[in-house]
Order: sequence, then structure tokens, then C-alpha cells
Amino acid sequence: MKIKVNDVHKFYGNGDSRVEVLRGINCEIQDGEICVLLGPSGSGKSTLLNIIGGIEMADAGCIDIGEDCTKRMNEKELTLYRRNHLGFVFQFYNLVPNLTLKENIEVCAYLSKNPLEIDELLRTLGLYDHKDKLPSQLSGGQQQRCAIGRALVKNPSLLLCDEPTGALDYQTSKEILSLIEQVNRKYRNTIIIVTHNDAIKNIANHVLKMRDGMIVSDYVNENPISASQLEW
Amino acid sequence: MRNPLSKRYSLEFKKNAGRYICIFLLLVITILIGSGFLCVMESVKYSLDEYLIDNKVEDAYFETAFPLEDNVKNMLGKEDIVLCDNYYSSVEEFDGDAKVYVFNERNEMNIPALFEGKLPTNGNEIAVDRLFAQNHDIAVGDSLELNKIKYIVSGTISLPDYSSLFLNNQDLVMNTTGFGVCMVSEEGFDKFDKSTVTYRYSYRHNERNLSDKEKVEAANRIHKLLVGNGVNVQDFLIAQNNQSIIFLQNDMGKDGPVMEVLIYILIVIMAFVFAVLSSHTIEEEAPIIGTLRSMGYKKWELILHYITPTIIVTFLASVVGNALGYTVMIEPFKRIYYTTYCLPPLALRFNQTAFIKTTIIPVVIMIVVNLALLINKMSLSPLRFLRKDLKKRKQKKAAKLPNFKFISRFRIRVILQNKGSYLVLFFGIFLSSFLLMFGIGLQPLMDHYVDTIDDTLPYEYQYILKAPVEAEGGEKVLIYSLETEYYLTGDNVDVTFYGVQEDSQIFNDFTLPTEQNHIVVSDSFAKKLNVNVGDEIIFEDTVYEKKYTLVVDTISPYTNNLGAYMSIDDLCKLLEKDAGTFNCYASQKKLDIDDAYIAKLMNRSDFLGAAKQMMISFGDVITIVNVFSVFAYLVLMYLLTKIVIDKNSLYISFMKVFGYEKKEIRKLYLDASAIVTLISLLICLPLESYVFKMALVYISSLIEGYMDFYLPVSVYVKIVITGALAYFVINALHLQKVKRIPMNEALKNRE
Repeated sequence: MKIKVNDVHKFYGNGDSRVEVLRGINCEIQDGEICVLLGPSGSGKSTLLNIIGGIEMADAGCIDIGEDCTKRMNEKELTLYRRNHLGFVFQFYNLVPNLTLKENIEVCAYLSKNPLEIDELLRTLGLYDHKDKLPSQLSGGQQQRCAIGRALVKNPSLLLCDEPTGALDYQTSKEILSLIEQVNRKYRNTIIIVTHNDAIKNIANHVLKMRDGMIVSDYVNENPISASQLEW
Repeated sequence: MRNPLSKRYSLEFKKNAGRYICIFLLLVITILIGSGFLCVMESVKYSLDEYLIDNKVEDAYFETAFPLEDNVKNMLGKEDIVLCDNYYSSVEEFDGDAKVYVFNERNEMNIPALFEGKLPTNGNEIAVDRLFAQNHDIAVGDSLELNKIKYIVSGTISLPDYSSLFLNNQDLVMNTTGFGVCMVSEEGFDKFDKSTVTYRYSYRHNERNLSDKEKVEAANRIHKLLVGNGVNVQDFLIAQNNQSIIFLQNDMGKDGPVMEVLIYILIVIMAFVFAVLSSHTIEEEAPIIGTLRSMGYKKWELILHYITPTIIVTFLASVVGNALGYTVMIEPFKRIYYTTYCLPPLALRFNQTAFIKTTIIPVVIMIVVNLALLINKMSLSPLRFLRKDLKKRKQKKAAKLPNFKFISRFRIRVILQNKGSYLVLFFGIFLSSFLLMFGIGLQPLMDHYVDTIDDTLPYEYQYILKAPVEAEGGEKVLIYSLETEYYLTGDNVDVTFYGVQEDSQIFNDFTLPTEQNHIVVSDSFAKKLNVNVGDEIIFEDTVYEKKYTLVVDTISPYTNNLGAYMSIDDLCKLLEKDAGTFNCYASQKKLDIDDAYIAKLMNRSDFLGAAKQMMISFGDVITIVNVFSVFAYLVLMYLLTKIVIDKNSLYISFMKVFGYEKKEIRKLYLDASAIVTLISLLICLPLESYVFKMALVYISSLIEGYMDFYLPVSVYVKIVITGALAYFVINALHLQKVKRIPMNEALKNRE
């Protein structure tokens, strides 16, 4: 799925405390690429991700998703947009604690007319043997795999990952990034990864660097490396 | 320095205003009903006790066919009693079909208490029972015609031997519209035709400390003495068996504990609601608690902090509940007693015990339940709080569920996650539905009772005779009263024996036993005494000190009293009376019998009117109960199902992010509560109906008659519909709340 961000502005607060967190963002993310949105805390990268995901609305500018523009969508259409096209992965996995791993994946499978085969997906994620366990019985890495599985089961055309390795150790982070790479290769979906970890940019096809609500660098990485080769 | 945590209270009340307002209101209503009721009940009880002593209520009365001879009266004097004439004239068909007993002036015993006006001083004046006057729109100064004699109403009174207006001692309830009592002066009483007068004598023991047993023994001696001297005794009733005297005392003695138990159950449920809510707050604030504990806050400081809102709400609810209970609730509860009973004027008393029961005990229950929970929760280490790991027992594995559809499994998981809240909800629904069952079910229960009597009563008129007399059109019956032991209480109950004609056209719903010592018993008899065909029952004649063992041959459909039937010849043989002895006529039409021969006339409406009274007496209570039940439904459902949303608001936010629509989120989270509510409503029905049935058995044990359990399907349907409607109102509120949960809740970084 191709995404075009057109002069997006976003403000928080009112009056004297009004802050502009996105100051006219323009960029284009091509179908099937891994795009890393890099920047320090407060740079506006998560806000941009939320606007792309239709969770927040831009105060000015718009996001073109294929032929559609999120600004013209009403609440129901935005819901359907998220339902039909998007998958989300969060920093803290956010699995439903009283559901098993398989059921957590079913949460999103339920929304799709043609979900991936869950047991096969669980095998791909290396979680098949844990499918009947609760999230609290698993490590952080396993939980994040499950969260990725939950996002993938709908086979979304756009996968949004907000700091997916932020809560994981070095080795597990690399495993998760490898998994994201693998998913991209297998399903050819567009993936946007928000991170403050500079090393992760090396696996991306496209890197957007942000600072103070603006894109300070936008370039295509001609020679991405595999996640297993990453070091930081 | 002031504890900085105390600043959080106002924020907490603001944040959870709906929760605290609901609990506050339910507590206030519970306490105001409890305190108002107990205050009135205790005051009435005190007034009644004083009244019975001061106005010298009788220890027993007996009625004779003719006035006692002086020699018999002299013999009775040896019993160390004060004997008084307590004659009355029976007035039939007053103001329609009401029956009135007009008593002669009373100065020594059963002295009237004056409400309004003055006692009759001349032959033209009459004082009318206050309740009867109220029910028949009789005012002081009105003119009344009784047995063709005109009187002016001089005042309204109550009589201590008629605090409850029972026309017949076996009636289930009093009959305040169909029966009344009045009093005239001696001069006024002399105007009545002698044929309308019943010769009642009341007596009091001079020794005031006799036990019940001694009073019964004395009564048996007196009864025997009267019969032994050829007196035709029509009726003999000691005060402890006289419903007109004892019913209210029994009723009040029993109402109090029932009300207290209901209040305590409700308070315990509310305490658990608070506990569930506090538990949720602690789970939500676990990292804060962990941080405070790590920084040196003591366990007790935090327990105190978290229990304070509970104490504040309970304390305020107690103050407001009591204030309203002792003011606005006095009149409605007073009305319950004063539209049912003939009581002396009420002197309201502040009752310390009632205050302890309705205020101190609920506050203590509330504190103890919540303290236990908080102590238990706070016993975890600060680290566990920091990690939000508050489960005492680790949940090792997920419960294995059948291969249902995803949505069904999800709902089951939600139900399992909130099992504590749902359990409290179940008990709340049980109690509310039970109260509602009482509120909605009483009317059809009473209608059924009246209808069954109406359908099965085999005659229109029953004439008890002072002496045998021939009458055209009636069937001769021998009526006699024996006693048998009631298995539940161990006390004796009166059973009316009917000796009927072999070829009776009236008692034709059964075949008379052909064997000696076999009887037919009424349906009420069989149910109350739990007897079946073939059972042997021992009956006792306390006057002649004889015992009879009789076998149940058949059960008749009659429900008007505890009756036993056999042929008149067999009953005469059994009681060793001359063949052909009779003392009653049963007939389908009015008989032409000289009034001088009639001791008591009962018609169909006398039997039915009493039952109708119950709905009048309970009118106010039913409204209070119904309103309270619906309110309790709403509050408990709101609080306990809201927890499900509060607990899952983060995940509901995720669902929105994933693309779930509102109706799908409702299916996942709200329908789980709807299912639990509906299942609870349905499961509770047989339980409530069982408790209701037990309550009727208990009530039957207190009274002479018997009321069969009956609730039409419509009552059950109404309960479920009311509960379901209450839930739908709450569901609509929850849907709005779900709608307001923002998606960015899911996006906040959290661990």
C-alpha cells in the first residue's frame, strides 16, 4: 500500500500551552517497503504514525492511502480502514491478559474475511507449542511475537510498528526485527517502524528522520542489511 | 504535617462520582427503610404493651348460649379470677355486608382507648373503632343505625381485645372492612333485642405472673366447670390463642428480625460491592501503592487511605438515612400499622436498639468486610505491587474451553475474569428479585387464596346455634373443635370437625369414610399438617381430656379452614353424644331461624373478606418494596457491570484501534454481563420461589389458617422482564461509556 503524507500539521493543547507537534510533514512511502521513522522522544514520530493509522486526525494536511484520503473519511470509514488495511504492533505488546495466545490472534482474525491460517502463523512465529498459554506465562519476546502475529493474521497491507523492540533485550530485539523482515518478504506488506534506535534504520528500504515535528532527513537505503547483522 | 494522600479523596470522589452516588443512595434507602420501620415498630410495640397492661386486656373469654346463673359465677370465683360480662350485639349487613359487634360499656376489663371525641355517656351515643370508622367514612357526630336503633357517634376508640379485627379465629388475616367493633353505654346496650345479644364473659387472673401453661390449665378447669354445670359453651378462647389480641404481638415480634435480616443481607452485598470496587482501584493503582510502600509508607497508612472513602460514604448514608427514616418514613410505616390494626394513639420513641441495628451494625459490617479485603491485599510485598502482580495464587494455566466460536469463548473469558463481581451481582439479583417476587406476587397469591376458598366453600351460610331448632332448607351439621399437634412448632392447633349427613347435598365433594375412626380432611389441613391418606392423627379434647386416634381416609378440596369431616352419626359416636345431636345448619340460602337461636352466622363474604384485607394492609409496603427492588437492580447492575468496562477499558481501546465497531465491542464485553444478568435472573427464580414457599410455611406456622403457595407464570415473567429492562437501561449507559473510551488510551506507553 502506497502512502502519501501531504503537509500534515498537528497541534496539542490550547492558548498559551498550544504546541505544534507536526509542522508540515510531507513524505511518500512506497508499497511493500520497510520504512523506519527515526527520531528522539518528542520528535512527533508516534503522532505521525497515529495519523497514518487513522487513530488521530491531522489539524491540517492529509494522508492519501491509495486512492483514499483519511481526512475525508468519517468515523465508520476510518474504522473500516483500520479493520481492512492495518495491523498494529505496540512497544508493550498489549495482549489481552485473560486470553490465550491463540485467542489473542483470533481477536484480529475475527475482523478479516480471509484471515491467515492461525496454526500455521503460530508455527511461523515459533509459538505453536505455547498457543494455549496466557501472555503472563511467556517471555517479552514471545509476547511481542504474538502481538506481531495478531497484527499479521488479517494479512494487512500496512503494518504499523510503534517501538516494537523498545521493551526487549538486545538478542530478542534482533529476533523480532528478523521476524518483521521475514513477514515483509513473505507477505509483501508495507511496514512502518517507529523507533529511536538509530541502528534499526539499516534494515529499512526507506528512512525518515524526524526532529521537533519536522522531517530532517528522507532517504532510500539502497543496501539494507538483514536484522541478524545488526549491532548496537 | 497533614497526610498528603488525604488530598486525593476529593479527586477520588470526583473521578468515581457515579459509583459513590449509587452506593450512597442505596445505603440511604436501605437505612431509612430500616430505621423508619424499626422506630415505628418498636414504638407501636411499646405503646401496645403499655396499652394491654393499662387497659387490662382479658386473659380469656367464653361465650354461652344463655346468661350464666349466679351459682355458676360464684363457682368460678374460686378460680381467683375477675369475671366480667362482655356482652355484645351482632349487627349483620352494616353498610353493605359488614358485620359489627356492639359491646356493652366496659369499665373493669378490655377498657377502650379514646382517639377522638368522647366515650358514650348516654343511651343515644356510640363509640366506633377508629379503623372501622375510617374504612366506612364514619365521623364523630354522624348518626348510625344498628339493629334498627339509632345512635350518634360520640368518639372513635380502640379496644385492647380487638387490636386485630379477626371475625373468626381461624381466619388468615384480619378483616378491617368487613368487620368492626363499637361500644355503647349500658343504657344504650339495653335497647338491643335480646335475640341479637351474645353472652360473652371475659376474665382476668388476679395472679398476674401465671405461665402460659398455668393459664391453659386454668382455662381447661373453667371450661370443664361450665360444661359440668350444664352451661352450653359456644366458644372458649384464651388470650394467647386469640388472634384478635395476639396476632399483632406475634406479627411485630416476627417482622422486626425479618426486616433486620433483609437489611443485613443487603448491607453485606453492598459491602462486597465496595470490596470489589476497592479491589479494582488497588489493581489499577498497584504501581502507585508499590512506589509509596517502597518509599516508606506503612501498610496501615495505605489501608486507612483506601478504606476512608468507604467509611465516609457509609457514615454519611447512615446520618442521612436515619434523619430521613425518623422523619419522612414515619408516616408511611405508621400507616401500615394503623390501616391494619386497631391501636392506641402512637407515642413515637427514639429507639437505641433500632439505631444500633440500622446504623452501627451496617457500618461495622461495611468496615469489617472492606478491612479484611484491604489487609489481605496489602499483605503483598511492594515489589509485587510495582510489578502489578497482585494475584495471591498464580494463575498457572488458562481454563480450557470447548471449541466454541471465538466470540463465545471471548465472553466466557470475560465472565471468568470478572467472576468475583458477577458472584456479588448474582446475590444482588437474588435479593432484589426475591423482594420483587414478594411485591408482584402477593396480589395473585391472595387472589388465588380467595378464589380457591370461593371455589371450594360448599355452602353459602353457616348458622351456629345456641340450641337445636328445626329449620327448612338447611342441612344439620355437628361442629366440634379438637386440637392436634403442629409438627413445626410442637404447639396444638384447632381443627374443626364437621359431622355431616350421609347423603349430604352440600358436602358432596368427597365420599364419607365407611370405616370407624376414619376421617376426611380439608386440603388446608393436609398441607399445613403435612398428612397423607392413611396417616394416623391424634386429636385431643382438652375440655374432656380425651384423645382420639383417627385415620385419614380422603382429602377434600376445601381450603377455608383446618377441617375434618365424618358422618354426623360417627362423630356423635366418637364424641359420645346422643345420636342426631347437631349444633349448626349449613345451607345454600338464608334460613328462617329465630335470631334467639343463632349464636353466630357466617356467610360466604365473611370467609372471603378477610383475605381481601391483606392487600389493603400491604398496599404501602408493596409500593415501597417494588420501588426499592427496581432501584437495587439498577444500582447493583450498574456498579458491578461497570467494573467489567473499567477493567477492560485499555483493551476496549485496542479493539477500537484494531477496527472493531461499537456493536462488536458490545458483543465482546457488554453481552457477557447481559448473559450473566439474564442467567442470574433465571437461576434465581426457582431459588426465590423456594424461599418464598418456605416463608409461607413459616407464616402458616404463626397463624391458625394455611395459605398455599401459588405464583402464576406471569409473576416470574414480570420479574425477568423487570430485571432485563433494568439491565438494558444500564447497558445503554455502558454503551455511552464504551463510546467515550478514546483510542489514544491504547497508545500511551505503559508497562
